[in-house]
Amino acid sequence: MHKQGVEKFPYYVGIRSLSEVATREDRVCVLNILGTESSSVTPVSHEFSGGNVVFGTGPGKSGQILETKLGSIPVYNSVKEGMNAGHKINTAVIYLPPAGVKDGVAEVVRDNPDLKKVVILTEKVSVKDSRTIRAICQTNGVDVFGANCLGVADAWNQVRIGGALGGSKPQESLVKGSVAIYSNSGNFTTTIAVYLITSGWGTTTSISSGKDVYIHFAPGEFFYVLDNDERSRAAVIYVEPGGYYEHGLEINKPTVACIVGRWKARLTKACGHAGSLAGSGDDAAAKEKWFMDYFDVDDIYTPENPVFSKKGAVVTNIAYIPEALTRVMEANGIESDFEPQGDLSLKCWFANNQGLSLPPELDIPVVEAVTPYNEQIEKVNRQIGAQFPREALKDASGASMMDPKTQVTKVHNVSILDASKYSLEENLVFSLTKEHPDEYRRGLANIAFNSYVNLHGDSILTASDASREGGNSPNTVLSSAISIIGKGRVKRAIDAASVLLDLFQYQKIMDSTADFDYKEVLQETIRSSDKDKLLVPERDGFAEKMVRAIDELDRKSIFIEFCKDLARKEERFLSADTILAATWLTIGWSSLMRKKISRTTILSLPWYSMIFSAHIGCSVPSEWHSKTSFCGEDLDDFIENRSFTETAFLALIGHRPAEVELFEFTVLLGLIISNGPGTISAQGSKGAVSADGPEQPERVQLNKAFVGFLTHTGFAHGGNGYEAIEFLLERFKDNGLKDPGDPNHGIDLKGIAAKYSQWYLNYKNREKAAGNLEYRKIPCVGHPVFKGKAVNIDPREEFVSKLLEERDSYNIFLDFYRHLVQALFETGATRNVFCVNVDAVIAVILLKAVWNLYREGELTEKDIENAAFTTFLFGRMIGCAAEIDDHINRGRNMDTRTPASKCSFVG
Amino acid sequence: MQLTGLLWGGKLLKYVGFPAAEVLGPEASVDDIKALIEKHGEVFIKPIFKGGVGKKGKTGLIGRVKDIESALKEKERLYFTTHTSGSSTVKSDGVTFEGAVPAGHEVYFSITESTVYRTTTMTITHHGGVEIEELPEDKIKVVPFDPLTGLKSFHVSNALEELKAPAEIISPLVQNLPRLWDLYNNYGMTTLELNPIRMMPGKGGRLVPVACDFKCAFDIDDTAWKRLNLPSHIFASDYSEFEQEINQLRTYQGQSDVFIINDQGTITAPTFGGGANAMVTEILGDYATISSDFGGNPPYVKMNQISEIVFKHWLDQSNVLFIIGGKANNTDIYETFRAMADALRGYFHTYGPKPIFVIIGRGGPNLIRGMSYMRDTLDALGIPCRIFGHDSAMSEVVNYAMKVNEWMIKEGKKLIRAKLTK
Repeated sequence: MHKQGVEKFPYYVGIRSLSEVATREDRVCVLNILGTESSSVTPVSHEFSGGNVVFGTGPGKSGQILETKLGSIPVYNSVKEGMNAGHKINTAVIYLPPAGVKDGVAEVVRDNPDLKKVVILTEKVSVKDSRTIRAICQTNGVDVFGANCLGVADAWNQVRIGGALGGSKPQESLVKGSVAIYSNSGNFTTTIAVYLITSGWGTTTSISSGKDVYIHFAPGEFFYVLDNDERSRAAVIYVEPGGYYEHGLEINKPTVACIVGRWKARLTKACGHAGSLAGSGDDAAAKEKWFMDYFDVDDIYTPENPVFSKKGAVVTNIAYIPEALTRVMEANGIESDFEPQGDLSLKCWFANNQGLSLPPELDIPVVEAVTPYNEQIEKVNRQIGAQFPREALKDASGASMMDPKTQVTKVHNVSILDASKYSLEENLVFSLTKEHPDEYRRGLANIAFNSYVNLHGDSILTASDASREGGNSPNTVLSSAISIIGKGRVKRAIDAASVLLDLFQYQKIMDSTADFDYKEVLQETIRSSDKDKLLVPERDGFAEKMVRAIDELDRKSIFIEFCKDLARKEERFLSADTILAATWLTIGWSSLMRKKISRTTILSLPWYSMIFSAHIGCSVPSEWHSKTSFCGEDLDDFIENRSFTETAFLALIGHRPAEVELFEFTVLLGLIISNGPGTISAQGSKGAVSADGPEQPERVQLNKAFVGFLTHTGFAHGGNGYEAIEFLLERFKDNGLKDPGDPNHGIDLKGIAAKYSQWYLNYKNREKAAGNLEYRKIPCVGHPVFKGKAVNIDPREEFVSKLLEERDSYNIFLDFYRHLVQALFETGATRNVFCVNVDAVIAVILLKAVWNLYREGELTEKDIENAAFTTFLFGRMIGCAAEIDDHINRGRNMDTRTPASKCSFVG
Repeated sequence: MQLTGLLWGGKLLKYVGFPAAEVLGPEASVDDIKALIEKHGEVFIKPIFKGGVGKKGKTGLIGRVKDIESALKEKERLYFTTHTSGSSTVKSDGVTFEGAVPAGHEVYFSITESTVYRTTTMTITHHGGVEIEELPEDKIKVVPFDPLTGLKSFHVSNALEELKAPAEIISPLVQNLPRLWDLYNNYGMTTLELNPIRMMPGKGGRLVPVACDFKCAFDIDDTAWKRLNLPSHIFASDYSEFEQEINQLRTYQGQSDVFIINDQGTITAPTFGGGANAMVTEILGDYATISSDFGGNPPYVKMNQISEIVFKHWLDQSNVLFIIGGKANNTDIYETFRAMADALRGYFHTYGPKPIFVIIGRGGPNLIRGMSYMRDTLDALGIPCRIFGHDSAMSEVVNYAMKVNEWMIKEGKKLIRAKLTK
């Protein structure tokens, strides 16, 4: 049962001409007008169409409005309420969720007898609802477009109804011309229109039909109304497989049909358009044949094989539509609507080869984009550094992660095992710039770090001394010192870095040591306030010392050289702050330019640098700092020739490291960089950042963040490394060991291990028999993950052991541990050969380093315990720096807190 | 989502009281099978294919036995048999034992949506038991009917009369067939086919229609089928693990349709828009890992989750990550690109850097912000890329992606890997 419309059809069709599809006289009601999509699309449609939306509905939203440039659109609870308010409409646009579409159509049909058209945008409307909608609208004489379509538009009438044909700028796509478009694809409706412009064809009416199982306004109706539209001289139809809507058409105007989707014959379920699931008779090949028959052509049109007739052409690629249409129209003696605009050749707007040499045919250069995109691209290209999206970072990190399988943590995607091959200074740079520095930049970092290690006469030392004298642990002592390095202390360096960054950020410098002529920058009008931030009136001996050391390096930094020339030009002097700033800008520049780090990070590098230096400097009491020396070593030599790793070793052990010692110490520090964001130390540093509010990064106190890290270490976390040392001391202190690095030590390790294992077995059995399951475990033996095999291995320990072996670095304590796990198994104390875990490696390296001092009585057991703890702090400082910087860049204010609902009371 | 066979079909028919042949599942004991043979004299043994598999009889995949020994032999033959139709081969997982229904007439009956009539149609013939496509048109009746009122008795009787069906079958069919509309209409079906319905003599010689095979398809966008409480494994073979993961994100906001094209493919193309999906997949052919449509302005979270799943399943084997769509009308390019870029960053973080080349072709709202975000991410990850505007022909961008893929196979992948691990 259907109302009588156009007589030709055995069902209801009300529209007789394309010009009636979308007119300026249509008055529209939008259902669910305040929904996310509708509220952004409807105002554009309304404005483009001269204000055709009369009202919208939204249950419970009566009284609200949708703002547009042409005035606000009223919203009612229901269509009935809108009609009762006196509005008149003939068209309904449905933006309801799928389950509500059928009822929405029923509502608007029932409450408005004048309704003529319904446009349904919603996707995933069920087939059952679609057939019901069709039945309702057929009975009541209403034309339906959609569902799952983008609506209809008319370039002549400057109207669009329903969806977002032409996006936020419909006038760009909907250019007046003589071609009507009918498309199963919403996107292609306007993509085809844009393509046609490149051959000088504009459009009349564009219909996005949708491609659900039910297409209510189908090609049959389209070609009928096309015939009755004088404006339209030709048509383009884009169709996909599935359905017989294109079968038996009567096409009387030149037409290009684009049929895409031969591959869909392989589909066993819908992908993309729900109605594109074809049987054998309605697949793409069948449809190609139908249209070829309509046009009396025997092949598909391609530029190489241009098969067409006066009636039309069939293409299978939308890019060929403009050319095919032009040829068909030429055959009909019809010229294009206007001069072609633009072309469809490849236009690359952004590119990066990442330094690779691509074959010429693939190395497509970047071209200037069309207006307005070119201006937008220029604007974004002026943004420097990375911009990270912010998110809650409670128990999450963008800097580190631990692989639960291997138990190996990665920082910036580099495993700590690999990181342990790098020096302390390299890893510190890496933690913040996400790149390990080259030799030159490593040299710069050493100078920057070592220049600020000696804190002679600084109140920081008074604080750390006082804390140390108070009997505090190493982390507490360092906390007292680091607390003092507030922003005020580094303000001048940060200001200098900021001035330099502003001067050079748009100079397209990728390498801070490249050959760059900064003459123009030097001659630019630099504000005097900025000059004051870079230069000082008096000679600065400290700065000169740094410059001397930097000049000894084998390359030149653009920024440091610039500062030097500026000082000469202005006849003033460089401050140490400026040198520090220029140094860190040099180190971090390529990371900034490659958008690995943010502007916030690069400007903070001098502050981080001073904090790192203070960690080492304040780990020794003030009497080790003097005007000319640190830990008894000449300061000048120190700044010019020593690495920061050597400095850290010196501060810890009290003497310069031998080559092997330095290597082992480096490995040791690398291994303790991080254990992921869940560790207490990481949580402490992240919590401190979170509490300051990273969304205003300039307010975050870096030194306080490091205090957060330090205060979240302790005798149980960081200080526990001593347990293994204590265990080893007990085994070795009385057996006359002289050199732990000598493989010919003459000590019966197997015997010691067997004896201890037997003792341990007895002890364990005794304790178990007494019901004590909390008996003492042997430190660094076994691991909850690396277990269960006949012989178990901690891959991290294996990795480090190999590294040490490659350097012929023998360690008696590690050798003993290997004997021990074997002996424990042989005596029956363990059920298989337990692994020696990675913590043992840390303990044995440190014990080896201090053994002689201990043996000679220069270090007590307490000193060794402190040294073990401090070593942990030095290594973990690297990982926590990465966490702090990451949280500042990505985190949200107070994001580490736990909601009250997730907390429990256990009293 | 299709279902074939009487094992589950019989249960569905019970909802509307439509008689079906007695059926036992693969778990049936020897005694049960024996009893079934004794009761019906003959038993059909059919493999269980999950999803929609037709034409089993034609390919010798139906066993017809009258004794238990033969029954067990046929069970063994058909239990894990395979069925190939076109390019897809499926394996059975068990068999059913269906009691034979003695009858003089076989009827074909189906309800489906017709794009010719643009309404629901009934198709019927009393020359059933064969493939419907093989019958001449004058032996079949297709009857469109109003879905608001449903399939009525007169539709059936008129059709059978016009077909000149034997009088004795008309009344039982008129009485029973309209019930199938309830099954079809109330549980979200798009096709329901019973072939054959065998007209078994009942009490007093009156014929009773008994369904001897069952086939139906459900509409994934209609939740009504969930009321049937069918076990999910029935449809499991319709969807790969990847597709199932993506399907969990299926909401009305934004598309999330995927289909595996070639699990050995080397170009992974998240595609935006049904048209772009059709065209890009067509041109890529077997280079494509998947065909997808992620258009419809998906929100950030959905797009991010979709991307995570796509990358997890396909990036490792891919040479080219190809993000392609036309000039979006409403999809926010910044939001979708940010979601994909973040997922890519996350993927590299979790699985380590992968040597891929990224190619993008797109237009739409917030385009440059989206493209620059993606460019910055790729720069940070060290991945080479080309990003094209919407004024480049989409097919040309696809061709470029295919050329890059060739270069990646030849040397590009190796070069990028070396660069990434440097």
